[in-house]
Amino acid sequence: MLILSGLIPALLLVLAFTYYPFLKGIVMAFQEYKLFDLRNVRFIGFRNFTAAFSDPKFLSALQNSGYWVFFSLAFQFLFGLTLALLLKKPFKGRGVYQGFIFYSWALSGFIIGMIWKWMFNSQIGVINDLLLRIGLIEERIGFLSDPRWAMFSVIAANVWYGVAFFAIMLLAALQSVPHELYEAADMDGASGARKLWNVTLPYIMPTIIATTLLRAIWIFNDPTIIYGLTNGGPAGSTHILSSLMLDKIIYGGDYGAASAIGVIMIAVLLLYTIFFLSVTRAEKAGDF
Amino acid sequence: MTGYRKWLAPALAAAMTTALLAGCSGAKENDGSGTGNGAGEEQVTLRMIESLTSPKRTELIQAMISKFEEANPNIKVEFISPPFDQADNKIRTMLASNETLDILEVRDLNVAEFVNNGYVEPLNAYTEKWEDFATVGAVPKSVGAVGGELYFVPNGLYQRQMFYRQDWLKEKGLNVPKTWDELYEVGKQLTDSAKNRFGFSFRGGPGANGNSDAMILAFNGDNVNLDDSMFTKDGATIFSTPEAKTALELYLSLYKDASPPDSINWGFQEQVQAFTSGVTGILLQDPDVIQVVTEKMEEGTWATAPMPTGPDGKALISAGGAGWGIAANSEHKEEAWKLIEFLSSPEENTGFSKDFGLIPIHTSATEDEFFKTGPYKTLIDMTNKPDTFVNYKAPFEYPGTGQWGQVAMESGQSFLLGQTGAEEILKQWDAYWVDQKTKLNK
Repeated sequence: MLILSGLIPALLLVLAFTYYPFLKGIVMAFQEYKLFDLRNVRFIGFRNFTAAFSDPKFLSALQNSGYWVFFSLAFQFLFGLTLALLLKKPFKGRGVYQGFIFYSWALSGFIIGMIWKWMFNSQIGVINDLLLRIGLIEERIGFLSDPRWAMFSVIAANVWYGVAFFAIMLLAALQSVPHELYEAADMDGASGARKLWNVTLPYIMPTIIATTLLRAIWIFNDPTIIYGLTNGGPAGSTHILSSLMLDKIIYGGDYGAASAIGVIMIAVLLLYTIFFLSVTRAEKAGDF
Repeated sequence: MTGYRKWLAPALAAAMTTALLAGCSGAKENDGSGTGNGAGEEQVTLRMIESLTSPKRTELIQAMISKFEEANPNIKVEFISPPFDQADNKIRTMLASNETLDILEVRDLNVAEFVNNGYVEPLNAYTEKWEDFATVGAVPKSVGAVGGELYFVPNGLYQRQMFYRQDWLKEKGLNVPKTWDELYEVGKQLTDSAKNRFGFSFRGGPGANGNSDAMILAFNGDNVNLDDSMFTKDGATIFSTPEAKTALELYLSLYKDASPPDSINWGFQEQVQAFTSGVTGILLQDPDVIQVVTEKMEEGTWATAPMPTGPDGKALISAGGAGWGIAANSEHKEEAWKLIEFLSSPEENTGFSKDFGLIPIHTSATEDEFFKTGPYKTLIDMTNKPDTFVNYKAPFEYPGTGQWGQVAMESGQSFLLGQTGAEEILKQWDAYWVDQKTKLNK
């Protein structure tokens, strides 16, 4: 009874701020619910969904979400792992160095969007300026205004942002690998690469699985960098599902269409999680 | 220690629960007590929200409010300033969920929608008793009205004009452009991408339709129905004419040959910044940028000129604005009007217009020396030539006007990128307004 009464406030908050909006969102996905026309809210079945799937903007956002998650995650992981391996052995000034490396993780996505927006600016941006000075390019590149470059640019900013997260998590895992394993490997005459492949990676595999699973979901859901950098432009070429959903609300006032996108996102994530867990569970059973 | 902890947790929990419950019921009680019982000296708190938020403007409005509060000790004003980008949606949400709101900033582009939903109160009963209403100009009156009833008193008018680099033009021996074609030619000659210098401060991002609409209107010229400006005198949309296609092709050339490639994404901030930082040579903007241009640029390097005209020598212009309205479910309408009357008085409004950069709403104010010189002079000059600078009524009675900016921006960007042709875009825009018309007539 005592425990139960202690849980009530938390439970109420969770109900009010998580489950109610969640369920309401699902209901709204089946409604015509437009901010401009609130006196005309009604159920329209699956029409929001069929409208989404016949909208080329939605399909391109779906595809972009795939690129966005895959490339962001792959490079964040690779760079994060490299950094973590480099930072594993103690050296002078490691603490300070770590501080600098992890700094980007402490910034808000929106601010990162603003910073990179100026860096990518084709008239006064530092990236174009450097490339021009080095002589790599002759004409300024419209990183954010040229649709061929825009998706690359937002992913580059996102990689910069997320590397620190992987570095932190993987470094912690690396430091927990028992030293005896390496000693034993040394005695067997294993090379550095072999130790990485056969000792380090299998040992930290649970951390890798947990962090990539989590990160993929966060990256998929997070519109802040895109919102700050391009706002989905030019001509909608950098929209991912979550930024398109925001766009539908902020500029279109269409809560029904936005909720339908939200429900589709939940479905995608559910499928992804089932897939990921079944694949990694099988692998784990084989290794350990 | 453990014993202490054992009872602390449930005690805290109980305290929090009661606080939560009390919070809920407390709010309800407050709602009830607000119903005015006419006792004049009772303390009243007005909730007021602005839409066109910017730091300097908020400061100016707050100063006026403090003055008002000093003169009316029984009225307190709670002033809400949401960030500009989200303000209109915040206001909409507050109105839709019946949150307490007394005064709100209504915009020309959403007044029809608010009236449609019954969110705002007609003000005619109040203006009848207001002495200074006589000097409020015809334009601000029509900006704030829907179907003959006034729904907000504008706090100033916005009217676009041309800002240009006097020194750049002199350097190249060029004349100030008078038509859109000249603007393109001059812009092209000023452009030197190697020096990172461009002729025109293009705007392809939020608010892009400001330029494309202005060009298409100017090219249609005399054929435009001035009272229903998205349509011609024959009742077709302005996007369906051959002139619209010519205009749109020039619009594309203006972007390609005279503007920074990046500007396809630019909104207000970038567009103005590019001009003040010396990247672009010509800017079309409202008077609220006069302040920042004066501040950031050296005197003599820039000047203003009237808006460019179309091929038949006419430019269609429309003054716009936002202003103060009263929420329909406000419980303190009398007090709310008192504040609006104060803010809209010739003294306060003219001061505000000077400090922020707007055209004042009282005709008496244009007699002021301040508005007869410098960058404001062009605006007055334009008003004095109504045959060249023809005033039209913006299509704000269509509820879809609010979304038009977004629609035009997105399809406009794909046009600028060469993904869609001019005819295809015009067909989409034509369809949008035909649809608006049928919805309105329903």
